[in-house]
Amino acid sequence: MSYAVLACNGVDKAEGALAREVGLQVADATGGDVVCPVLLNRAPARYEKTLARDALIVVDGCGTRCASKLAAGVGVKPKQKVLVSGLVKASGEELEASLRLGPDEMALAKSIVADIVAALGASGTQAAPAVAWDAPTDFFVVVFDKFEFRIPKQGYRFSENDTWVRAMGNRARVGISDYLQQQLTDILYFDPPELGTLVEQFGELGEVESSKAIFEIIAPVSGAVVAVNEAVVEASPELVNADPYGEGWLVEVELSAWAEESELLLDGPAYRDTVGPKAAEY
Amino acid sequence: MESEADKSPVLVIPCSGIGKVQGLLSREATYLVTDELAPGETDTLCLALLVKGDADAVAKVQMHKCVTIDGCGKACARKNVEMAGGRVSKAVQVAAVLKNYRGTQPGTGAILTVDGWPVAREIAETVAADAACLRAGGEVAP
Amino acid sequence: MSDPTNTGASKVGIISCSGEEIPEGTISRLATLRVLRSMRPDATVTICLPLFLAGEGGERNFAKTHPTITVDGCEKQCARWGTEQHSGPVARALVVSDMLGGDCAGCQRSMRSPGPWDENAVRIVADQIASAVDEVLREQGSEL
Repeated sequence: MSYAVLACNGVDKAEGALAREVGLQVADATGGDVVCPVLLNRAPARYEKTLARDALIVVDGCGTRCASKLAAGVGVKPKQKVLVSGLVKASGEELEASLRLGPDEMALAKSIVADIVAALGASGTQAAPAVAWDAPTDFFVVVFDKFEFRIPKQGYRFSENDTWVRAMGNRARVGISDYLQQQLTDILYFDPPELGTLVEQFGELGEVESSKAIFEIIAPVSGAVVAVNEAVVEASPELVNADPYGEGWLVEVELSAWAEESELLLDGPAYRDTVGPKAAEY
Repeated sequence: MESEADKSPVLVIPCSGIGKVQGLLSREATYLVTDELAPGETDTLCLALLVKGDADAVAKVQMHKCVTIDGCGKACARKNVEMAGGRVSKAVQVAAVLKNYRGTQPGTGAILTVDGWPVAREIAETVAADAACLRAGGEVAP
Repeated sequence: MSDPTNTGASKVGIISCSGEEIPEGTISRLATLRVLRSMRPDATVTICLPLFLAGEGGERNFAKTHPTITVDGCEKQCARWGTEQHSGPVARALVVSDMLGGDCAGCQRSMRSPGPWDENAVRIVADQIASAVDEVLREQGSEL
């Protein structure tokens, strides 16, 4: 697969400078073409053949996401989107308030690029293998007052933050439990993480919003985000309420440390034992 | 030739679910339509009476065009009007409107906040416009 | 489904009519929510009448296994009828128009601009619902 890289190149903040450097290094590492955002905006026809041929990697510096919007404006769906400000935050590093990159910033760029290229190598160079995610059929049921909370008996692990993970090989799906979706009531939005985002166990993995609350999804596992549930994001967030363990899944990740991390999670029976006391307290 | 039913009030029937703000929004939107935006041209009726099989309630939904306003995907108002043989010309889902009010807190099952009343009004204005169209013999998107 | 684990304490279910056509329906709803949220929060569960009538499992199962009080706006008593149809006899059947002595002239259906009559009516009805909850729980052998 050949790539083209579109970096935002924002000139008024450090994240923009870092996004440009990350874009150039990704292009070097993948042998891809660099797409100039200014030229793409002024004369998109110049990149018509490139964008028809290559998979586009978009690198945005900040939440304004100019590069993503440019790509959308020319009708190109990126293969991968990277948000530098998010990765900087996840790394715990602090950028110098300078528009020029120093040694620390260059080292950070290198680290970000290595992760992006690794994620591309794991899931981007060829089509992701199809995984059969059959819906669970056997549940524990915890009854509290008029509420009935279902927990799959097998195949799912839970965090204490009421998110679940289901692993199949080196990939896993993540969602929220039936208990949590009932507490939140009707889900109106899901803000997913960007594809390619590297997440740590117990880090942030997007947000769901209902008319009652905004809830940050706490990642039950570490890995690279390789898919999000577009049906939930775009048109049918109510799937999270209707089928929280099946069609209402939120994010798919390529696992990086499943063997050790799964031991920190609860299996079905253990999670079941936490739900009653939580409901009583709530 | 216009039928008799076209000149009669359009029935606006909310679900009034008690547990969540969506039920209150459906109810208050209904009152905005019947009491302020389209008085005399619209009316409401108790959903529970309809489910109970009250003869007057059943006759009403069979005779008049109905607009239902449901708080959630369970669509109690729409389903029960249909089961009673009523004509649902438009089925409104409050959750769909709430998507336009991201980040706001519209209220609870008991009270609407300052964020909640604009939502009720948006629903009501749409329903009132649809009711006017229906009374004129037109169709509205379901 | 299998392995139900009931972890709820002894509670009373309250089913309020939705009564969209009359102010008593609004009063019934608000008084019920007041009892649920602030007067007897640990002793009551409210059951959504539309969902209950639609056959929602959790609502009907609760009403079958717990004492239930119905609160209706008028003498048609839709909540009482629905509960007796689908879950069995009710512990208490309250009717707002009876509780207010038929005097609801100043009350409104909408709470856009609630007046003193509305608050007064909700208070009277909520007090009576709360008293009914206490009586039912005493009969059940539970103390508040």
